[in-house]
Amino acid sequence: MTLRSTVATFAGRSSYWFLHTFMKGGSSLPGKITTKIDPEILKHLGQNYDVIVITGTNGKTLTTALTVRVLNQKYSHILTNPTGSNMEQGIVTTFLRAPKVKGARPIAVLEVDEANVIKVTKYIKPKAFVFTNIFRDQMDRYGEIYTTYQKIIDGVALAPEATIIANGDAPIFHSKNLPNPIIYYGFKEQDEKDIKAKPNTDGVLCPNCQHILHYRYLTYSNLGKYFCPNCGYSRPELKFAVTKVTDLTPTSSEFEVDGNAMKIEIGGLYNIYNALAAYAVGRFLGVTPEQIDTAFSEDKKVFGRQEVIDLDGKQVTLILVKNPVGLNQVLDMIATDKKPFSFVGLLNANYADGIDTSWIWDGNFEKLPNLNIPAYITGGERYKDITFRLKVAGVPDDKHQVVPELKNVVEKIKTLPTEHVYVLATYTAVLQLRKLLADQGYIKEGMGA
Amino acid sequence: MTYELNVAHLYGDLMNTYGDVGNILALNYYAKQMNVKLNAEVVSLDQDFDANKFDLAFFGGGQDFEQVIVSKDIQTKKQALTDFIEDGGPVLAICGGFQLLGHYYVDAKGEKIPGIGALDHYTLSQDNHRFIGDIVIKNEETGETYHGFENHQGRTFLGENERPLGNVIEGKGNNGEDGTEGAIYKNVFCSYFHGPILTRNGNLAKRLLVAALKRSYPEADLSQQEALPVAATF
Repeated sequence: MTLRSTVATFAGRSSYWFLHTFMKGGSSLPGKITTKIDPEILKHLGQNYDVIVITGTNGKTLTTALTVRVLNQKYSHILTNPTGSNMEQGIVTTFLRAPKVKGARPIAVLEVDEANVIKVTKYIKPKAFVFTNIFRDQMDRYGEIYTTYQKIIDGVALAPEATIIANGDAPIFHSKNLPNPIIYYGFKEQDEKDIKAKPNTDGVLCPNCQHILHYRYLTYSNLGKYFCPNCGYSRPELKFAVTKVTDLTPTSSEFEVDGNAMKIEIGGLYNIYNALAAYAVGRFLGVTPEQIDTAFSEDKKVFGRQEVIDLDGKQVTLILVKNPVGLNQVLDMIATDKKPFSFVGLLNANYADGIDTSWIWDGNFEKLPNLNIPAYITGGERYKDITFRLKVAGVPDDKHQVVPELKNVVEKIKTLPTEHVYVLATYTAVLQLRKLLADQGYIKEGMGA
Repeated sequence: MTYELNVAHLYGDLMNTYGDVGNILALNYYAKQMNVKLNAEVVSLDQDFDANKFDLAFFGGGQDFEQVIVSKDIQTKKQALTDFIEDGGPVLAICGGFQLLGHYYVDAKGEKIPGIGALDHYTLSQDNHRFIGDIVIKNEETGETYHGFENHQGRTFLGENERPLGNVIEGKGNNGEDGTEGAIYKNVFCSYFHGPILTRNGNLAKRLLVAALKRSYPEADLSQQEALPVAATF
């Protein structure tokens, strides 16, 4: 350890202790202090770990959490970064606050923002990268899918020996020749067709000849067993695959991976992909399918993202939505509810939400009028946009209440005709609603799991 | 009488960023109120654009990569699209679609990507900068005000026979210099507006539908359609 690294580490650890003890927080400031004193601090901090970097547009947080649970079945020392700390400074802080480990080499499972992969690989050579997916995100901030993938690849180029564990159903992850060993995971369905993705899907050009891709089957968005009728380009061989989806409800998913039955306490096909990614990392590091099944079933708190709040007898599921693909997956998920439910859509357009609300038009709200939904509420700072979106989707006016103010939304929810209520809200609307619910004692303050 | 309009969604599978598909949904929403059945169909790579089949065309914006592919393919549809436009066929073109109807655009890497030159504008780029934010414009001829969200790197300059869709009241517009936004040529309406444009500006949706009806049903009495009240959505 250089003197500079020692000083930097000490300064960072002290500030973390101070912030954590007295300020109840501090996830990136210690990293900032440490990096300021020694810009190469990550090299020093990360060199004793086997690092797994998890990146992509959607699913990073749950994939990271599940991977930690899976690896815990075999390894005793696993470090991970809390959600929201997926940029350089947050990662430095994660290492700083880790207890010193003697004996076996510890593992670090890190969720890393797409553009920050290179900031990590500049100093740390990971053992593996996990690519979940790349979808159109809030484009006023992120840019196009190809630019995002290039940023990841620029980071991967500094670690050519790391194994890439990638979603094989995403054509973009099969579009560049890389020196790294690559393992693909995906879905294997029995029934094979010849279909195209829906017209409004992103990333459907063949990476090889730029014709429109066809599919033997699609799971969602542009994911599936793709092939190019023009040049014969096709999905790579899958090493780990979901072989069967047995049952889907809004709160649970049962499926088989390579013939092994698994269950996770969360709905949504996209979450099966997250579990599959964690499965692939587990198998890559020698964890058995039985151990992985145990990991998925023994700790249910990991699935806490879809929070169910008891609001005077209403079971209110609060779900964060932030981009079209995620939104469509949530709409598909709530559609699996076997009971009638009410739908609440809350739209804000602050910086953290994305200041352009156009993306709601890529959401397939047109499916809602065909479901058993007796009541709708729209609200939030941009209630006009979400209200008109539902109108155009065919939601009848007599079932639809427009309630701009969130405090009034809370009161209205209590009067809804169904026990089940789904609230889809953008980031700052979630924060505002949680604050209101916390003030009224329905939940504890904070962002939730 | 029930009317029917066929809409060509040009490259709808490739040019579909920023919720542009909402324009088709909004057209359909107002068409229903006008007693019009709307049939939208994607016309994409390696397919012909049949100018006789369609009553209206919509051309959205795409990502840089997809737009380059579309730039090559659309040259095969250049004649048919130009004929359609010259014959008064109504078209709505947004962002990349707007650019590709003109002579060319210069992309983020500085490459000159050819359009079809059906309209007389051209588009330059700007270095590491985009015009991003809410925008309001006013069309002086009709007195209509349009609201939207712009997000573009291109700086477009209109030709002599084009009028702007509106003059900028708030925001940047075509190029941040001359105060114009979008373009009108015959029945072609171009803009950088997302939002999508027709969801916030029902008047423009109505204008397009009425133009298409008048052209495809020249004998019909369309006074009811023209009188359709459009409520503010924004």
